[in-house]
Amino acid sequence: MENSSTLYVNKFLPLSIVDGPGNRIAIFTQTCNVACAYCHNPETIVACEHCLKCVPVCPTGALTVVDGFVNYNEALCVDCDTCIKTCTRSSSPKTHTYTLEELLAKIKKYKMFARGITVSGGESTLQKDFLVKLFPKVKDLGLTCFVDTNGFTKVEDMLDLIAVTDKFMVDVKTVSHFERLIGKNIKFDVLDNLKKLLEMDKVYEVRTVIVENLIEVEKTVIETAKIISNYDVTYKLIRVRSHGVRNSKVEEISDNIPTVERMQQLKILAMEHGANKVEIL
Amino acid sequence: MSIITTKADVLKTVKDKQLTYQQRVIAMARASERLFDPRELLGYTDEDVMYLENNFICDLGEGFAFYRPRYVVPDYSVFVKNGSKYFELDPPKTIDDVLDGLLILYKSVPAEGALTVWVGHLDKLIEPFVTNEVEDYPKIKRFLNHIDKTIPSSFCHADIGPEDTKAGRMILKASVELLNPTPNLTLKYDKDITPDDFLELAAKTSLLAAKPNIANHKKYTKDLGNYAIVSCYNALLLGGGGYSLPRIRYGTVAASCNSLDEMLNDVFPKVIKSQLNMLDKKIDFTVEEAPFFKTHWLVKEGFIKQENFTGMVGMVGLADAVNHFLKLEGLNETFGKSVRGDEIGMQLMQLHNDMVEAHETKYCAATNHRYLLHSQVGAKINDEDYRNTPGHRIKIGQEPDLADHMIQSAKFQDFFKAGTGDIFNFDQTYEKKPEAVVDVIKGLIDLDYRFFTTYMENQELIRVTGYLAKRSEMEKYRNGEAVMRDTTFCATGTDDIANILDRKVRVDGK
Repeated sequence: MENSSTLYVNKFLPLSIVDGPGNRIAIFTQTCNVACAYCHNPETIVACEHCLKCVPVCPTGALTVVDGFVNYNEALCVDCDTCIKTCTRSSSPKTHTYTLEELLAKIKKYKMFARGITVSGGESTLQKDFLVKLFPKVKDLGLTCFVDTNGFTKVEDMLDLIAVTDKFMVDVKTVSHFERLIGKNIKFDVLDNLKKLLEMDKVYEVRTVIVENLIEVEKTVIETAKIISNYDVTYKLIRVRSHGVRNSKVEEISDNIPTVERMQQLKILAMEHGANKVEIL
Repeated sequence: MSIITTKADVLKTVKDKQLTYQQRVIAMARASERLFDPRELLGYTDEDVMYLENNFICDLGEGFAFYRPRYVVPDYSVFVKNGSKYFELDPPKTIDDVLDGLLILYKSVPAEGALTVWVGHLDKLIEPFVTNEVEDYPKIKRFLNHIDKTIPSSFCHADIGPEDTKAGRMILKASVELLNPTPNLTLKYDKDITPDDFLELAAKTSLLAAKPNIANHKKYTKDLGNYAIVSCYNALLLGGGGYSLPRIRYGTVAASCNSLDEMLNDVFPKVIKSQLNMLDKKIDFTVEEAPFFKTHWLVKEGFIKQENFTGMVGMVGLADAVNHFLKLEGLNETFGKSVRGDEIGMQLMQLHNDMVEAHETKYCAATNHRYLLHSQVGAKINDEDYRNTPGHRIKIGQEPDLADHMIQSAKFQDFFKAGTGDIFNFDQTYEKKPEAVVDVIKGLIDLDYRFFTTYMENQELIRVTGYLAKRSEMEKYRNGEAVMRDTTFCATGTDDIANILDRKVRVDGK
């Protein structure tokens, strides 16, 4: 699947306060196996193909061509995102490929401020073979290892990753009719998958982004609440935002933002069906 | 510019519409201390005077006829034990006795600015008298509010910790309810003594009330022994204090040099020598000529001892000096985000440090007969201060992301045994997650950081350079009104200089 000797990374944040308990080092991997309509960092979905069209439009010279590949110099970047807007595939050249040693060195540099690392995405489990090697070494530094996942990777397919991961932060995108949200139909029992992770005591929080019409709102909230009812797990209901989504999806998302009252009702619904801790974001 | 006061200066003070009565009296007294030529009175050299006149060195407007130390740090536990003969007070028996007694003492504790810069290790002083938290809390809150109104200077500082105490918790609670700038507050933090939930309460309080600051208790104890954090986080010995604080404006000195070599090998050593000489001469006068250490009740009753005082060697504008040399070297980089910049900064600091450590002094027994470096946070004395960023701080607008910023400033904090500090401005999301601030604090302690201050964006209380000011009062002063707190007009000046309101807001760790 991937080259397990390197990790393809969109962003490395030395301090994040929104990716699990306390301060965490957050690593956002590049590439995802789904393309949700509301994705607010769609440039992380596909890999850069080095077509080099973004290089001449960069106003600060942060992008250059080295050996036929686009090379990104973060120090010169002003985050204007002209490159991303120019990319015909909505990808990003602002990525890094880390070897295990390089990534560990960077984690060590900032470890004193963090309780742990959280690998997010993109979809981080797509590069699980690298993570399986990384996490034991991170734990040796006294840090915990969290994985943020879209919930579409089968538990059976990542048992080695689960074994070395402290906790997962799992999306329940929707429970059926996936095509409306992710543009393709798949057969996947997200709830059964979540249940298995819960039974292994590997879940930190569960999230559903609430967007009307694109997901089965009530059914998803009720079923998820039931499944987590016996666990000390927070259920986050996130009101969809149109900020950052692909241009082609802005209208569709804007038309389907739930009201504040609706979010409150869904919180009550989740609690009625057994969720112990529900947060609205 | 003349460093000696004239009649015209006095008249200007008399007519200044923006001074309250008390502020005017203080300004008049300070002016009279500067009527003398320091060459005649103190034995300054012509070179010393030249460096004051060309702004390489700033004496913060301190007098030449210097009749009391700049910072006095009384051991108030003497009052708890003995009461005070001078004030005819018995040792306190109740919480009312101790709070009332302390308020009496504060009004007679001198300082350069006439308002005391330290009100004590409050939790330790109060804790033995706490009997009923419900009844005691309003008393403690009223006591703190009294300090804010009667010592209207946010340079006035109180300390708590490292132990978790009922009194300490009540002081934190009252700080949020009062939102007063005074007293400034520091929690001495020691991970082996301070429980995590107390640290988290302090972190939460600092987001809402811009205080307490956090001091690395282990580090300061190792360097100084029994210390206190006073004024703008000066670290000084309990039962002693700091005589005087001349500061070198690195940015101004550097601007006169055409190369780093000229700075390091010619100009800078001469300026440092002059700074040390001025301290020597002024301290001689204070100890030998002025009656303070012979007659003051604080000395007679054992609240302070002359041998616990030290001289403070101040500096500002490291960033500006480094930026000057980076430019001369043809580098398009700035201090804080430059490896070469850190090297240059380290060379300047090391030279200053080495000369201070090599200089034996007469009246600093408790600090090994040496003066101590202090990272001064700046004040608007004249236009030259526009060219000098506080202490070793990174210039506002040139800050790197939070983690890199903290790692960078940790390297420089080590030099400043007499105090330093950095300020980080967090956005509102941190309010929901004070444990993230706790993680930051623990990380800083791991880096051997000395002192750390935080506040949250858009609150009424704002951390200026070391002290606090109210946004609403700064606005009043800008509109030409007289305001209660002298630090407000310092803040308004500093606001103009350093754009403190534009300090980088830390959103999600950036």
